[in-house]
Amino acid sequence: MDSQIKIDFENFLNKENFSKSQIQLKKNNFNEFVKKGFPNKRIEDWKFSDLNQIIQTNIKKLNFISSDLKQEDFEITTIKDFEHNKIIFLNGKILKVDFSLEENDKIVIQQNHNINADHIENSLVSLNSAFVSDYVKFTVKKGYQAKKPLIFYNYLTTDIASSALNIRIDIDLEDGSSLNVVDLSNQNLNNNFINIRQNFHVGENAILKKYFLDTENSKNIKYIYNNLDLAKNSHLEYFILSSGSKFLKNDITCSLNNQYGSISLNGIINLDGEKHHEIKTVINHKDENCKSYQLIKSVLADQSKGVYQGKISVDNKAQKTDGYQLSRALLLNDQTEFNAKPELEIYADDVKCSHGSTSGNIDEDSIFYLMSRGLSYHQSKQLLVNAFLNEVLEKITDEKIKIFIKKLTGLTNEY
Amino acid sequence: MLSIKNLRAKIDNKEILRGLNLNINPGEVHAIMGPNGSGKSTLSNILTGKKGYEIEGEVTFEKEDLLKLEPEERAHKGIFLAFQYPLEIPGVNTNIFLKTSINAIKKARGEKEFDAIEFLKLIKKKSADLKFDEKILSRQLNVGFSGGEKKKNEILQMSILNPKLAILDETDSGLDIDALRVVSEGVNTLRNQNNAFLIITHYQRLLDYIIPDYVHVLKNGQIIKSGGPELAKNLEKLGYKDFN
Ligand SMILES: Nc1ncnc2c1ncn2[C@@H]1O[C@H](COP(=O)(O)OP(=O)(O)OP(=O)(O)O)[C@@H](O)[C@H]1O
Ligand SMILES: [Mg+2]
Repeated sequence: MDSQIKIDFENFLNKENFSKSQIQLKKNNFNEFVKKGFPNKRIEDWKFSDLNQIIQTNIKKLNFISSDLKQEDFEITTIKDFEHNKIIFLNGKILKVDFSLEENDKIVIQQNHNINADHIENSLVSLNSAFVSDYVKFTVKKGYQAKKPLIFYNYLTTDIASSALNIRIDIDLEDGSSLNVVDLSNQNLNNNFINIRQNFHVGENAILKKYFLDTENSKNIKYIYNNLDLAKNSHLEYFILSSGSKFLKNDITCSLNNQYGSISLNGIINLDGEKHHEIKTVINHKDENCKSYQLIKSVLADQSKGVYQGKISVDNKAQKTDGYQLSRALLLNDQTEFNAKPELEIYADDVKCSHGSTSGNIDEDSIFYLMSRGLSYHQSKQLLVNAFLNEVLEKITDEKIKIFIKKLTGLTNEY
Repeated sequence: MLSIKNLRAKIDNKEILRGLNLNINPGEVHAIMGPNGSGKSTLSNILTGKKGYEIEGEVTFEKEDLLKLEPEERAHKGIFLAFQYPLEIPGVNTNIFLKTSINAIKKARGEKEFDAIEFLKLIKKKSADLKFDEKILSRQLNVGFSGGEKKKNEILQMSILNPKLAILDETDSGLDIDALRVVSEGVNTLRNQNNAFLIITHYQRLLDYIIPDYVHVLKNGQIIKSGGPELAKNLEKLGYKDFN
């Protein structure tokens, strides 16, 4: 690690008002990151995506702290298609909150200055813990069902360039509550390394639906560490549309901690140019009668690269586990690359687990059939790609959000 | 309308068509019969623009070199093929596909595209004419359709697109007796002085319903005999073995 990061870290600590113990915690995390550096392909979890290399080739000189934020007048365009609550993030910090569609005090937002002392073997999480300040925690109160979805809007100020941005969001659904969140991860500026850590806790009988959308073309490099904790009889629907950024890795660890918890994780990787995206999941079945379902479909054009690493791990006490995982990739070009690494690790005997992975080219006979009915090659191909991806979009259970996503992406044949 | 001169086609160095000649004028119905593997579907594919063949010879459609056109350009000019084996396209809704298809053709011809209501009317009428259960059109294109339903769906598309030259590749195979009659009526109602049909079949029975002007025998990649409807009747009796 060069000395720039050390100078940046000192400046950061001087600027922010941390307590002594916080400073020590941050220093520990910082040293851990400096020791390990950005992950490279020699690390098993990163063998298909050498982040160190990717950052070096795409960002010349990375700043770890940006100059003082200047408030700018920039236009915030919000979605008109349906009523929703809003949180507008500027450089990862809250700029504006609008929960006027909900009852008072049922969704509580806290800005946390201090991190806790948890330790995770992951240099990027350490980096995040070292540099994060004022992160956000939402709590949906016990038994409260949010009436409308919540949309995260993410903006960056124009002085952010070649910067490493460390963002953290925690969501806690108390027992019996529910919330639908759309995370529009469309940062408007380029060449930044955006390092996000998300912790979700879904309480007993609670339901969280989270839709992550990365659709706008950008040269940003993003890593998202997702830690998902599910309590008894809770459900999490997690949808990922991975398409816009130069590099994006969604790293998901989900723990089904208690009986009858379930997760449905559905992802689309849709890339062109030289983009490189990865979805990596680890689903830990820790108790009986839990279900996990994963469907990942990738469409790769030009020289793009897609990766799916999915692991289902079943504890010895997690009998009657139902674990399903399928990855399908459509390669539109010989120069694309898709890597899948499915893994099962099962210590219980009464379980139903399956995994599968296929990749193939577009069917030229189908293209000919469509062209013989007057469609151009491009139109035919688009129709087949949309048809291929539609199965994943159909997994979205919030109808309004489904229609919105279909419109936003054009990934639909229903025109 | 269509003129084929000395057409030769190879695929993977295997010679399939070996100097085929055929002329079709507006208002005519031509039937082609021939043994399995003689090159009938290959001829249909080449006329509609499928890639992958090494082609020699000349094919013109309304005086224009057909071979240099893309498949969709041929469709825009009014060539239609009812496939011997219609493809299943998962995830594509049949109705939406039909609308996309007709509007692509209308757009290419500079005509006004159908809106949702006009299209619905058209579809209702055409599927009623063909006694085709409309419900099936809300399903994925050909996916899980029975053999006969796939063939009827091809004919439905033909009647919607109203082509100048329709090639029917064994559309009768797999149709039940009633469906055969309905499909034949569909062809007969479309038939007029300005369009033409090329009907590939193994069975003379279809030609009792759709009376052809000419019958050709295709064998080993060549048309070895041509005649009137009576030729089909003879073939039915004698088979192909005596034709050389
Ligand atoms: N892609 C290909 N590669 C090699 N041989 C091929 C290919 N396509 C067709 N053929 C061969 O060309 C010959 C003609 O095939 P074609 O499908 O045109 O026959 P057909 O007259 O339509 O037969 P049928 O009555 O059984 O439908 C056959 O011997 C077939 O095996
Ligand atoms: Mg054939």
